[in-house]
Amino acid sequence: MSPEFLDRFSRGNTICHRLPVRLKIVLTLAAILAAALIPISAWPVHGCLACVLFAAHSVAEIPVAYLVRRVGFVMPLVCGLAFAVPLGDGLANALPAAAAIAVRSVLSLLAGLWLVNVTPFDRLLAGLQRCGMPRGIAAMLAFMYRYTFVVFDELAKMRAARRARTFSSRGAWREWSAAAQLLGRLLIRSLDRAERIHSAMCARGWDGRIRALE
Amino acid sequence: MHIADGILSTDVCVAAGAAAGGALALSWRNLAATARLRTVPLTGMMASLVFAAQMVNFPLFGLPASGHILGGLLAAVMLGPWAGCLALALVLFVQMALFSDGGWLAYGANVLNMGVVGSLGGYVVYASIRRFVGGPRGVLVGSVIAAWVSVLAGASLFCIEFAASHLADGFNMPRVFLLMAAYHSLIGVGEALITGMIVSCVLTQRPELIYAPDDSSASWLGAGRFAGAGLVLALAVAAFLAPFASDAADGLETVAQAAQFDQLAQESSGLNPFGYSVPLPWSGDRAGFWSKASISLAGVLGTLVVFVMAHLFARLFAKPRGAAAEGNHVA
Repeated sequence: MSPEFLDRFSRGNTICHRLPVRLKIVLTLAAILAAALIPISAWPVHGCLACVLFAAHSVAEIPVAYLVRRVGFVMPLVCGLAFAVPLGDGLANALPAAAAIAVRSVLSLLAGLWLVNVTPFDRLLAGLQRCGMPRGIAAMLAFMYRYTFVVFDELAKMRAARRARTFSSRGAWREWSAAAQLLGRLLIRSLDRAERIHSAMCARGWDGRIRALE
Repeated sequence: MHIADGILSTDVCVAAGAAAGGALALSWRNLAATARLRTVPLTGMMASLVFAAQMVNFPLFGLPASGHILGGLLAAVMLGPWAGCLALALVLFVQMALFSDGGWLAYGANVLNMGVVGSLGGYVVYASIRRFVGGPRGVLVGSVIAAWVSVLAGASLFCIEFAASHLADGFNMPRVFLLMAAYHSLIGVGEALITGMIVSCVLTQRPELIYAPDDSSASWLGAGRFAGAGLVLALAVAAFLAPFASDAADGLETVAQAAQFDQLAQESSGLNPFGYSVPLPWSGDRAGFWSKASISLAGVLGTLVVFVMAHLFARLFAKPRGAAAEGNHVA
């Protein structure tokens, strides 16, 4: 898996990328809170917020097509909840509540996307740690981020090996058991790898702290 | 099942966040008692694994869609309840931050529904079953049943959060419960099946990797286990009983609708093709009772299916395969 897969645009060099990390975290949380707390009857405020977010994205040089794809990925579920449920009571009654859900979701989504696309994940973790995230949690997150790529590569290799040995699908049941065995093997391998890494870390004087180069 | 921002109200998000934060802090403290240094690589790796496992698709029988495992109970069975809960919280954080799957404000609610109920809640059910059914058989039966129960309990908790967020909006809560219970009894059967298959795979190849509680943590689990298991079971059962229990609310609604019936009827016939009911295949004139009854029937059937599954897993996979297993993991 290529490293660009997870946070694609986070290593750019625009003014948004150069802002201090903690400022970016605070700004994003403020935008999300504003979207959640301002009543939907004050919709011009939400409009302004949307304009500001779009401006921030364009300054950070994040393509619109990417944003549309990401929002489109999450929207079906949100719209499903927002519209399918209140429809039972008649559209006119349900519309304000449904619109509130949809507008708030899109705005919060845009704010969150901006944060991760202007901040590399390791910097984000360092910033969150300085905002009060416990050290142990941050260490685990850093470890997880590092080894996600390894586990994904291993999964891809095992799937390729399986495909190379499987010529036709033999029904859904076979596919289920094959996929479950794949995951079982991957689980065993990953836990063994974690034990090996832990021994190696202890051999190098691991004391529970992850040290980051600033 | 990831909740985006805007679906729950802010105060519900804050309350759920406080509960989830408390559970995570408790998990971290209980881990500190055992071996914290070992926890970081193991939990981190488990989180990446659950993350990767959610990318493996399982084709749904006869449907052009596919599902994936949620993995809360799997993590708890492998690493124990505390590390499992933390691993799920990590997975949810990365999914939120990097995939924008689930909102920042709703993070606490997501951790509560999937991490705390999925791992801690699932584990108390699993540990209670293991107390009665010993050996590898108990591991399999326990994980299959607990996986199903934990998915339903999580869905039920979501409904409660959703209802608390939209009390004033006049949403039709019984229907939310109905839909969630119907979908999640299916999702839960899939989760139970996949979890059972993976656990049986690990059991035949490396049984020593399965988490076995030592005596220090057993005391807590012994005291609170049955209470916790009862709570989780009650949540799961609530998903099926809620449509009936809310008949009174339905009655109130009917009165309210009768009061302004003309107006509403015009609107709904003009704009809403489904009328007043969710478009269930069996909805006819007297669909109200039968749709509720069929949800509960689905619950009973799902329970039966899961118990049969647990029995089959115990029969098929729990046999000791000493020699074969020894040879396997060297390769």
